[in-house]
Amino acid sequence: MQKGEGSEAQVTWEDQQNINKFGRLNNRFHELEDEIKVAKETNENLEDASNELILSDEDIVRFQIGEVFAHVPREEVESRLEKMKEDASKELERLEEEKESILAQMAELKKILYGKFKDSINLEED
Amino acid sequence: MAAAASASSPTPHAAVTERRGIPGASFVEDVETFLNQSGLDANSSLAFLQERLQQYKIVEMKLLAQQRDLQAKIPDIEKCLDVVATLEAKKGTGEALIADFEVSEGIYSRAKIEDSDSVCLWLGANVMLEYSMEEAKALLEKNLENAKASLEVLVADLQFLRDQVTITQVTVARVYNWDVHQRRIKQATKEE
Repeated sequence: MQKGEGSEAQVTWEDQQNINKFGRLNNRFHELEDEIKVAKETNENLEDASNELILSDEDIVRFQIGEVFAHVPREEVESRLEKMKEDASKELERLEEEKESILAQMAELKKILYGKFKDSINLEED
Repeated sequence: MAAAASASSPTPHAAVTERRGIPGASFVEDVETFLNQSGLDANSSLAFLQERLQQYKIVEMKLLAQQRDLQAKIPDIEKCLDVVATLEAKKGTGEALIADFEVSEGIYSRAKIEDSDSVCLWLGANVMLEYSMEEAKALLEKNLENAKASLEVLVADLQFLRDQVTITQVTVARVYNWDVHQRRIKQATKEE
Protein backbone atom coordinates (compact mmCIF):
# COMPACT_ATOMS: atom_id res chain seq x y z
CA MET A 1 0.00 0.00 0.00
CA GLN A 2 1.34 3.41 -0.86
CA LYS A 3 1.68 5.86 2.00
CA GLY A 4 -0.48 8.81 0.97
CA GLU A 5 0.03 12.44 1.85
CA GLY A 6 -2.37 12.35 4.82
CA SER A 7 -5.45 11.91 2.68
CA GLU A 8 -8.90 12.33 4.14
CA ALA A 9 -10.68 9.23 2.82
CA GLN A 10 -11.66 7.11 5.78
CA VAL A 11 -11.24 3.37 5.50
CA THR A 12 -14.42 1.55 6.49
CA TRP A 13 -14.73 -2.11 7.38
CA GLU A 14 -16.36 -2.66 4.01
CA ASP A 15 -13.34 -1.11 2.30
CA GLN A 16 -11.04 -3.32 4.34
CA GLN A 17 -13.01 -6.37 3.32
CA ASN A 18 -12.78 -5.35 -0.32
CA ILE A 19 -9.03 -4.88 0.03
CA ASN A 20 -8.74 -8.29 1.72
CA LYS A 21 -10.78 -9.89 -1.03
CA PHE A 22 -8.58 -8.30 -3.67
CA GLY A 23 -5.51 -9.67 -1.91
CA ARG A 24 -6.97 -13.17 -1.78
CA LEU A 25 -7.97 -13.07 -5.44
CA ASN A 26 -4.53 -11.82 -6.43
CA ASN A 27 -2.85 -14.68 -4.54
CA ARG A 28 -5.17 -17.24 -6.11
CA PHE A 29 -4.47 -15.68 -9.52
CA HIS A 30 -0.74 -16.29 -9.18
CA GLU A 31 -1.29 -19.84 -7.93
CA LEU A 32 -3.56 -20.45 -10.92
CA GLU A 33 -0.93 -19.20 -13.37
CA ASP A 34 1.48 -21.81 -12.02
CA GLU A 35 -1.18 -24.52 -12.04
CA ILE A 36 -2.13 -23.67 -15.62
CA LYS A 37 1.50 -23.90 -16.68
CA VAL A 38 1.74 -27.42 -15.20
CA ALA A 39 -1.59 -28.45 -16.72
CA LYS A 40 -0.48 -27.25 -20.16
CA GLU A 41 2.73 -29.28 -19.85
CA THR A 42 0.77 -32.35 -18.83
CA ASN A 43 -1.49 -31.95 -21.84
CA GLU A 44 1.50 -31.61 -24.16
CA ASN A 45 3.22 -34.65 -22.69
CA LEU A 46 0.12 -36.78 -23.11
CA GLU A 47 -0.20 -35.57 -26.70
CA ASP A 48 3.45 -36.50 -27.38
CA ALA A 49 2.95 -39.90 -25.75
CA SER A 50 -0.08 -40.47 -27.91
CA ASN A 51 1.86 -39.62 -31.07
CA GLU A 52 4.77 -41.84 -30.08
CA LEU A 53 2.35 -44.68 -29.55
CA ILE A 54 0.94 -44.30 -33.03
CA LEU A 55 4.41 -44.26 -34.55
CA SER A 56 5.65 -47.31 -32.64
CA ASP A 57 4.53 -50.77 -33.68
CA GLU A 58 5.09 -52.65 -30.46
CA ASP A 59 2.33 -54.82 -29.13
CA ILE A 60 3.38 -54.51 -25.54
CA VAL A 61 4.08 -50.99 -24.30
CA ARG A 62 5.87 -50.03 -21.11
CA PHE A 63 3.30 -47.84 -19.39
CA GLN A 64 4.09 -46.01 -16.16
CA ILE A 65 1.85 -47.00 -13.27
CA GLY A 66 2.93 -45.56 -9.95
CA GLU A 67 6.71 -45.78 -9.89
CA VAL A 68 7.11 -48.79 -12.21
CA PHE A 69 6.72 -49.39 -15.92
CA ALA A 70 4.21 -52.15 -16.42
CA HIS A 71 4.05 -54.15 -19.66
CA VAL A 72 0.64 -53.33 -20.99
CA PRO A 73 -0.98 -54.39 -24.26
CA ARG A 74 -1.26 -51.66 -26.85
CA GLU A 75 -5.05 -51.26 -26.86
CA GLU A 76 -5.19 -50.82 -23.12
CA VAL A 77 -2.50 -48.16 -23.34
CA GLU A 78 -4.44 -46.40 -26.08
CA SER A 79 -7.63 -46.29 -24.06
CA ARG A 80 -5.81 -45.25 -20.89
CA LEU A 81 -4.08 -42.45 -22.74
CA GLU A 82 -7.34 -41.26 -24.24
CA LYS A 83 -8.92 -41.08 -20.82
CA MET A 84 -5.91 -39.28 -19.36
CA LYS A 85 -5.94 -36.78 -22.22
CA GLU A 86 -9.62 -36.10 -21.69
CA ASP A 87 -9.18 -35.58 -17.94
CA ALA A 88 -6.17 -33.34 -18.47
CA SER A 89 -7.93 -31.17 -21.02
CA LYS A 90 -11.00 -30.80 -18.78
CA GLU A 91 -8.76 -29.80 -15.90
CA LEU A 92 -7.02 -27.17 -18.03
CA GLU A 93 -10.35 -25.79 -19.12
CA ARG A 94 -11.56 -25.59 -15.51
CA LEU A 95 -8.42 -23.71 -14.47
CA GLU A 96 -8.67 -21.24 -17.37
CA GLU A 97 -12.30 -20.55 -16.46
CA GLU A 98 -11.40 -19.93 -12.83
CA LYS A 99 -8.68 -17.54 -13.99
CA GLU A 100 -11.13 -15.56 -16.13
CA SER A 101 -13.58 -15.33 -13.26
CA ILE A 102 -10.89 -14.08 -10.91
CA LEU A 103 -9.67 -11.47 -13.38
CA ALA A 104 -13.23 -10.19 -13.74
CA GLN A 105 -13.72 -9.96 -9.98
CA MET A 106 -10.40 -8.18 -9.55
CA ALA A 107 -11.32 -5.65 -12.24
CA GLU A 108 -14.60 -4.99 -10.46
CA LEU A 109 -12.85 -4.46 -7.11
CA LYS A 110 -10.28 -2.17 -8.71
CA LYS A 111 -13.08 0.02 -10.00
CA ILE A 112 -14.62 0.28 -6.55
CA LEU A 113 -11.39 0.86 -4.66
CA TYR A 114 -9.81 3.30 -7.10
CA GLY A 115 -13.16 5.08 -7.19
CA LYS A 116 -13.02 5.74 -3.47
CA PHE A 117 -9.30 6.08 -2.81
CA LYS A 118 -7.91 7.26 -6.16
CA ASP A 119 -4.19 7.84 -5.69
CA SER A 120 -4.05 6.69 -2.08
CA ILE A 121 -4.18 3.07 -3.11
CA ASN A 122 -2.06 1.01 -5.44
CA LEU A 123 -3.46 -2.24 -6.74
CA GLU A 124 -0.96 -2.94 -9.51
CA GLU A 125 1.76 -5.57 -9.59
CA ASP A 126 5.16 -4.11 -8.70
CA MET B 1 -8.21 -30.47 16.81
CA ALA B 2 -9.06 -27.09 18.34
CA ALA B 3 -12.23 -25.66 16.87
CA ALA B 4 -11.69 -22.67 14.64
CA ALA B 5 -13.07 -19.34 15.88
CA SER B 6 -16.55 -18.57 14.58
CA ALA B 7 -17.00 -17.01 11.17
CA SER B 8 -17.55 -13.25 11.01
CA SER B 9 -20.93 -12.20 12.37
CA PRO B 10 -23.12 -9.60 10.68
CA THR B 11 -21.94 -6.75 12.96
CA PRO B 12 -20.14 -3.83 11.24
CA HIS B 13 -16.58 -4.85 12.09
CA ALA B 14 -16.63 -8.46 13.26
CA ALA B 15 -13.13 -9.21 14.43
CA VAL B 16 -12.28 -12.89 14.62
CA THR B 17 -9.95 -12.73 17.59
CA GLU B 18 -7.85 -15.71 16.61
CA ARG B 19 -7.86 -18.82 14.48
CA ARG B 20 -5.93 -21.90 15.47
CA GLY B 21 -3.24 -19.94 17.22
CA ILE B 22 -3.02 -17.09 14.70
CA PRO B 23 -3.91 -13.77 16.40
CA GLY B 24 -6.55 -11.78 14.56
CA ALA B 25 -5.82 -8.20 13.59
CA SER B 26 -8.51 -5.89 14.97
CA PHE B 27 -9.85 -3.44 12.44
CA VAL B 28 -9.37 0.20 13.38
CA GLU B 29 -12.48 2.30 12.79
CA ASP B 30 -10.83 5.60 13.59
CA VAL B 31 -7.09 6.14 14.00
CA GLU B 32 -7.31 8.85 16.65
CA THR B 33 -9.67 6.82 18.85
CA PHE B 34 -7.46 3.79 18.39
CA LEU B 35 -4.33 5.65 19.51
CA ASN B 36 -6.08 7.24 22.50
CA GLN B 37 -7.48 3.89 23.62
CA SER B 38 -4.20 2.07 23.36
CA GLY B 39 -2.35 4.95 24.99
CA LEU B 40 0.41 4.70 22.43
CA ASP B 41 1.79 7.44 20.26
CA ALA B 42 2.07 6.96 16.54
CA ASN B 43 5.63 5.65 16.56
CA SER B 44 5.10 3.05 19.27
CA SER B 45 1.94 1.96 17.54
CA LEU B 46 3.77 1.54 14.25
CA ALA B 47 6.50 -0.45 16.01
CA PHE B 48 3.90 -2.76 17.55
CA LEU B 49 2.18 -3.27 14.22
CA GLN B 50 5.48 -3.99 12.45
CA GLU B 51 6.27 -6.61 15.08
CA ARG B 52 2.88 -8.18 14.45
CA LEU B 53 3.69 -8.33 10.75
CA GLN B 54 6.93 -10.16 11.53
CA GLN B 55 5.07 -12.70 13.64
CA TYR B 56 2.60 -13.26 10.82
CA LYS B 57 5.48 -13.76 8.41
CA ILE B 58 6.91 -16.55 10.57
CA VAL B 59 3.58 -18.34 10.79
CA GLU B 60 3.12 -17.96 7.03
CA MET B 61 6.46 -19.68 6.36
CA LYS B 62 5.43 -22.58 8.58
CA LEU B 63 2.05 -22.98 6.91
CA LEU B 64 3.55 -22.77 3.42
CA ALA B 65 6.00 -25.55 4.29
CA GLN B 66 3.15 -27.73 5.55
CA GLN B 67 1.21 -26.98 2.39
CA ARG B 68 4.13 -28.05 0.19
CA ASP B 69 4.42 -31.33 2.12
CA LEU B 70 0.75 -32.13 1.71
CA GLN B 71 0.79 -31.17 -1.95
CA ALA B 72 3.62 -33.66 -2.51
CA LYS B 73 1.95 -36.38 -0.45
CA ILE B 74 -1.33 -36.39 -2.37
CA PRO B 75 0.00 -37.44 -5.81
CA ASP B 76 2.05 -40.17 -4.04
CA ILE B 77 -1.07 -41.67 -2.49
CA GLU B 78 -2.87 -41.45 -5.82
CA LYS B 79 -0.03 -43.33 -7.52
CA CYS B 80 -0.28 -46.10 -4.90
CA LEU B 81 -4.01 -46.37 -5.47
CA ASP B 82 -3.32 -46.68 -9.20
CA VAL B 83 -0.98 -49.61 -8.65
CA VAL B 84 -3.40 -51.38 -6.31
CA ALA B 85 -6.20 -50.93 -8.81
CA THR B 86 -4.03 -52.36 -11.58
CA LEU B 87 -3.07 -55.38 -9.46
CA GLU B 88 -6.70 -55.93 -8.59
CA ALA B 89 -7.70 -55.83 -12.24
CA LYS B 90 -5.00 -58.38 -13.09
CA LYS B 91 -6.17 -60.73 -10.33
CA GLY B 92 -9.06 -62.14 -12.27
CA THR B 93 -7.10 -62.91 -15.42
CA GLY B 94 -4.52 -65.29 -13.98
CA GLU B 95 -1.79 -63.51 -15.92
CA ALA B 96 1.24 -62.22 -14.15
CA LEU B 97 1.99 -58.51 -14.36
CA ILE B 98 5.38 -57.80 -15.84
CA ALA B 99 6.86 -54.48 -14.79
CA ASP B 100 10.18 -52.69 -15.17
CA PHE B 101 11.25 -51.01 -11.99
CA GLU B 102 14.13 -48.82 -10.93
CA VAL B 103 16.82 -50.69 -8.98
CA SER B 104 19.05 -47.67 -8.69
CA GLU B 105 19.26 -44.42 -10.58
CA GLY B 106 19.31 -45.19 -14.29
CA ILE B 107 19.25 -48.97 -13.72
CA TYR B 108 16.06 -50.89 -14.25
CA SER B 109 15.14 -54.51 -13.79
CA ARG B 110 12.17 -56.60 -14.76
CA ALA B 111 9.77 -58.12 -12.23
CA LYS B 112 7.06 -60.68 -12.70
CA ILE B 113 4.25 -60.06 -10.26
CA GLU B 114 2.09 -63.13 -9.82
CA ASP B 115 -1.52 -63.08 -8.78
CA SER B 116 -1.81 -62.19 -5.18
CA ASP B 117 -4.51 -61.36 -2.70
CA SER B 118 -2.38 -59.05 -0.67
CA VAL B 119 -0.03 -56.10 -0.96
CA CYS B 120 2.41 -54.58 1.46
CA LEU B 121 2.04 -50.93 2.36
CA TRP B 122 4.86 -48.75 3.64
CA LEU B 123 3.51 -46.97 6.69
CA GLY B 124 6.59 -44.90 7.43
CA ALA B 125 8.95 -45.21 10.42
CA ASN B 126 10.53 -48.28 8.82
CA VAL B 127 7.29 -50.21 9.11
CA MET B 128 5.68 -52.14 6.29
CA LEU B 129 2.45 -54.08 6.75
CA GLU B 130 0.74 -56.66 4.58
CA TYR B 131 -2.86 -55.94 3.69
CA SER B 132 -5.49 -57.61 1.55
CA MET B 133 -6.33 -55.72 -1.64
CA GLU B 134 -9.59 -54.35 -0.23
CA GLU B 135 -8.01 -53.29 3.05
CA ALA B 136 -5.12 -51.67 1.23
CA LYS B 137 -7.47 -49.76 -1.05
CA ALA B 138 -9.59 -48.64 1.91
CA LEU B 139 -6.55 -47.49 3.87
CA LEU B 140 -5.09 -45.58 0.93
CA GLU B 141 -8.41 -43.95 0.16
CA LYS B 142 -8.80 -42.88 3.78
CA ASN B 143 -5.29 -41.41 3.79
CA LEU B 144 -6.03 -39.57 0.58
CA GLU B 145 -9.23 -38.15 2.03
CA ASN B 146 -7.47 -37.03 5.22
CA ALA B 147 -4.66 -35.41 3.26
CA LYS B 148 -7.12 -33.51 1.07
CA ALA B 149 -9.14 -32.38 4.10
CA SER B 150 -6.00 -31.22 5.91
CA LEU B 151 -4.96 -29.30 2.83
CA GLU B 152 -8.31 -27.56 2.71
CA VAL B 153 -8.04 -26.46 6.34
CA LEU B 154 -4.48 -25.30 5.72
CA VAL B 155 -5.50 -23.22 2.73
CA ALA B 156 -8.25 -21.61 4.81
CA ASP B 157 -5.69 -20.85 7.56
CA LEU B 158 -3.41 -19.22 5.00
CA GLN B 159 -6.25 -17.09 3.67
CA PHE B 160 -7.15 -15.97 7.19
CA LEU B 161 -3.50 -15.17 7.87
CA ARG B 162 -3.12 -13.14 4.70
CA ASP B 163 -6.27 -11.18 5.52
CA GLN B 164 -4.82 -10.30 8.94
CA VAL B 165 -1.59 -9.21 7.26
CA THR B 166 -3.52 -6.98 4.85
CA ILE B 167 -5.55 -5.44 7.68
CA THR B 168 -2.36 -4.75 9.63
CA GLN B 169 -0.63 -3.22 6.61
CA VAL B 170 -3.59 -0.92 5.96
CA THR B 171 -3.60 0.09 9.63
CA VAL B 172 0.12 0.90 9.41
CA ALA B 173 -0.51 3.13 6.37
CA ARG B 174 -3.40 4.89 8.09
CA VAL B 175 -1.54 5.51 11.35
CA TYR B 176 1.39 6.87 9.36
CA ASN B 177 -0.86 9.11 7.28
CA TRP B 178 -2.64 10.35 10.38
CA ASP B 179 0.71 11.17 11.95
CA VAL B 180 1.86 13.07 8.85
CA HIS B 181 -1.44 14.92 8.85
CA GLN B 182 -1.08 15.85 12.54
CA ARG B 183 2.46 17.13 12.02
CA ARG B 184 1.26 19.26 9.11
CA ILE B 185 -1.49 20.79 11.23
CA LYS B 186 0.95 21.50 14.08
CA GLN B 187 3.35 23.06 11.58
CA ALA B 188 0.58 25.20 10.14
CA THR B 189 -0.58 26.46 13.55
CA LYS B 190 2.99 27.17 14.63
CA GLU B 191 3.57 29.38 11.62
CA GLU B 192 0.53 31.52 12.26
